[in-house]
Amino acid sequence: MTLKNHFDPLKCWTWGVLLFLYFPIFVLIAYSFNDSKLNVVWKGFTFQWYHDLWRHEPLMQSARNSLWIASVTTFFSLILGVGSSWFFHRYRHPFQKGLKKMIMIPLALPEILLGIGLLVFFAAIQFPLGFTSVIIAHITFCLPFVILIVLARLSGMDPSIEEAALDLGATPLQAFFRVILPYLGPAVISSALITFTLSLDDFIVTYFTTGPQSQTLPIRIFGMTKVGLNPIINALSTIFILVTGLILIFIFWNKGTLNNRSDK
Amino acid sequence: MKENSVKSMVWSVLLVLLVSLTGCNKKNQESVASTGKALNLFAWSEYVPQKVIDGFTAETGIKVNYETYASNEEMLSKLIAGASHYDLIQPSEYMVEALAKAGKLKPLDREKLSNLQNIGKEYLNLGHDPEQKYSVPWMVGTVGIVVNTEKVKEPIVSFKDLFQEKYKGRIVVLNDSREIVSWGLSTLGINPNEVTDENLALVKPVISKWFPLIKIFDSDSPKTAMLNGDVDLGIVWNGEGAKLYQENKKFQYLLPQEGTHLFIDSLCIPMGSKNPEAAELFMNYILRPEVSKLISDEFPYTNPNLEARKLLSPEQLNNPASYPKGNPKLGIFLDIGKKLEAIDQMVTDLKSSQ
Amino acid sequence: MNLSSSKRHWIVLFWGLPMTLWGALFIIAPMALLLGYSFCERDALGQVIWSFTWENYQRVFDPVYLNVFIRSFLFACITTFVCLMVGYPAAYFIARLPKEVRNLYLLLVMIPFWTSFLIRTYAWITLLKSEGVLNAILGALPFSTSLDLLYTPMAVLIGLIYTFLPFMILPIYSCAEKLDLSLVEAGSDLGANPFWNFIHVILPLTWPGIGAGILFVFVPTFGMFAVVDLLGGSQTPLIGNVIQNQFLQARNWPFGSALGVILLVMFFALYAMTHDEEVDER
Repeated sequence: MTLKNHFDPLKCWTWGVLLFLYFPIFVLIAYSFNDSKLNVVWKGFTFQWYHDLWRHEPLMQSARNSLWIASVTTFFSLILGVGSSWFFHRYRHPFQKGLKKMIMIPLALPEILLGIGLLVFFAAIQFPLGFTSVIIAHITFCLPFVILIVLARLSGMDPSIEEAALDLGATPLQAFFRVILPYLGPAVISSALITFTLSLDDFIVTYFTTGPQSQTLPIRIFGMTKVGLNPIINALSTIFILVTGLILIFIFWNKGTLNNRSDK
Repeated sequence: MKENSVKSMVWSVLLVLLVSLTGCNKKNQESVASTGKALNLFAWSEYVPQKVIDGFTAETGIKVNYETYASNEEMLSKLIAGASHYDLIQPSEYMVEALAKAGKLKPLDREKLSNLQNIGKEYLNLGHDPEQKYSVPWMVGTVGIVVNTEKVKEPIVSFKDLFQEKYKGRIVVLNDSREIVSWGLSTLGINPNEVTDENLALVKPVISKWFPLIKIFDSDSPKTAMLNGDVDLGIVWNGEGAKLYQENKKFQYLLPQEGTHLFIDSLCIPMGSKNPEAAELFMNYILRPEVSKLISDEFPYTNPNLEARKLLSPEQLNNPASYPKGNPKLGIFLDIGKKLEAIDQMVTDLKSSQ
Repeated sequence: MNLSSSKRHWIVLFWGLPMTLWGALFIIAPMALLLGYSFCERDALGQVIWSFTWENYQRVFDPVYLNVFIRSFLFACITTFVCLMVGYPAAYFIARLPKEVRNLYLLLVMIPFWTSFLIRTYAWITLLKSEGVLNAILGALPFSTSLDLLYTPMAVLIGLIYTFLPFMILPIYSCAEKLDLSLVEAGSDLGANPFWNFIHVILPLTWPGIGAGILFVFVPTFGMFAVVDLLGGSQTPLIGNVIQNQFLQARNWPFGSALGVILLVMFFALYAMTHDEEVDER
């Protein structure tokens, strides 16, 4: 090990930023093991809150709701998103630019506008607020992300791939499903990951479009947070952060090995 | 090799998605097929003990979806926002009256509510629901002042005492437009139900002086800020006051001299309900003395269920916030129709102008 | 291609129609409804009555609400600026690290990025409350002081900056990572001092990342209401709080819609003024 002990202001700054990012998280995690309801003084180590969390039926129910909503959202966002990306990439059309702008609108506006817009819309057509309305809302703001990612991958594609398939007698649809879709694999996976997380995480749009049965985890956490500090939320948050961390480590580790493989 | 691994990854992701889809589909179909088995309860936050819900489900097999709100207005806005099928809502008295007038409540089947007799006479057939046609009392309470007597030494007996310059930034109040305006009216000696344009004009300068003094608006759980030491004074629901008193005797709850709101939170069945039978079952269930006691244990408001009161401990009954002594000036709110909008507007304007 | 034009039409419809319908139904129609509602009135319960009135817009342009808009704009600007100032050096530093270490740092930034902002806001409540961790630490110091931060505008700003800082770091990082080092070196070889090197070489090259970062931070901050609610005690409302309040408490949908329409128009104007491409790039 070579230890160069020179002073690097940028490095110190970055460590400062990381400290700022992580200090609250560490405190949060520490208090999830604290044997006191009030979150102030350290009274001893306990797993009590994890135990309580597991048996907290409303939270567990909303966790299941969240997972279900995120899965359906991912599924439909991918179908719709990949199709529209292909449309944008492959076919020229007089309204194309306008259409693209339209579908990107949710990205460019504060989420609350989409939330109230959809609330007003669902109320006007007397559509019951519930799973379906939340899923529709989620797909609407996830779609732009899918399209951006897939379009980026398509722009790097060799157009002769499709031509070759067509020359060999495939119909355009066959060519798409047999040749283009497999090529899009990595983009589809990363869109799926992003869509899933966005949907799982969303609070603002869900807040306006949810109904009695479709309470998601963020909505429930918000409600509990408003009511006061509760170590069960700390426990839940700790699990959340751990899972996020593990998934990210997995992705990074995989990316690293993939990169190495392609380097060879 | 690499191509293949990517492909298999894609397929495995799709497969997982499909499996989760079909799995959940089945579950969803079940719940659709048995909508008769779920009860959508829309109630105040911090008001329905999980024990009561679990007990009800265990006994009847009816699943309860519990969603919460922090004010009558919030409940109303979600209720009229569309076809959200709530089966049971928990409005306060004036909201019961307003909803009933607008034809938004289903009349109750008294046959199915045999336990209604447990409720004290003084809490039945009041102005907001003269024939007790639409509502079943859940809990009764008052709005009062909580003082952290360790931090505030001067005696405080009225709203006027509370809103003083020296307490700036040390006050939490309920985030509830109608409440706030009613306090202002009370300090002027006006009946809180006499909401006219002239009275609102009179009350506006009074309240606008209060707003800069207030640190937090919170209806969900004003006690939290007091417990955490962020504020020393509060205007809160008596149940919150009682909990603070249980926590530490330094939190004294008192009813302001000017008089204050006696609220009667009730259960009602909204028109859109898909499952009124389950709703009535639930109503009758919570009217049982032993169940009603569970609510009091967790949320120490004034229990209107006289049979349940007999089961409470002397300590609970002696909590001055839950069961106030003496003869305080109390009154229920009545529906004020269009004027509620004027109140909403005034409070929104005042809050935004800070 | 070798397809008949009618067949081509069908294919275009097949790929384009679902998305077009989706956008028309769930993006355009809601916005049109907001516009429509903003001219309506409400009844006593809060149901919308179709009519035509300018009243809501008159109220929006009342100084009270103009102030709220200005305050939200200020909060969003401060948040964006602080995030940029704090985030840029860190992003640049991470991008210049050797590959193995770089991924580790990147991971460290991404974990909070992917953690729900509600959870992270919740963490700050624990820290900032009067009898919370921060004051416990301050109290233990020799010069024992205490800060009353929770439920103040300062707490809201801290919460917003904390929530959106990773949104600034990541786009700048991805831009700085692609930075061609030979250009930077050429600059210093030519005798530019580090400062001018930064202004003339590095800054222009990372400009797209900065633009994206500003957008990523500014847009969500402007409409945020949850952080303000939780850390600010709802006593200095931002525009997001007022709108949310109009829809879910005061039941004045027409007025809420009018506020929403103004916000919408502001953002469209903002995009019309800046380059269109920026939106596409995101």
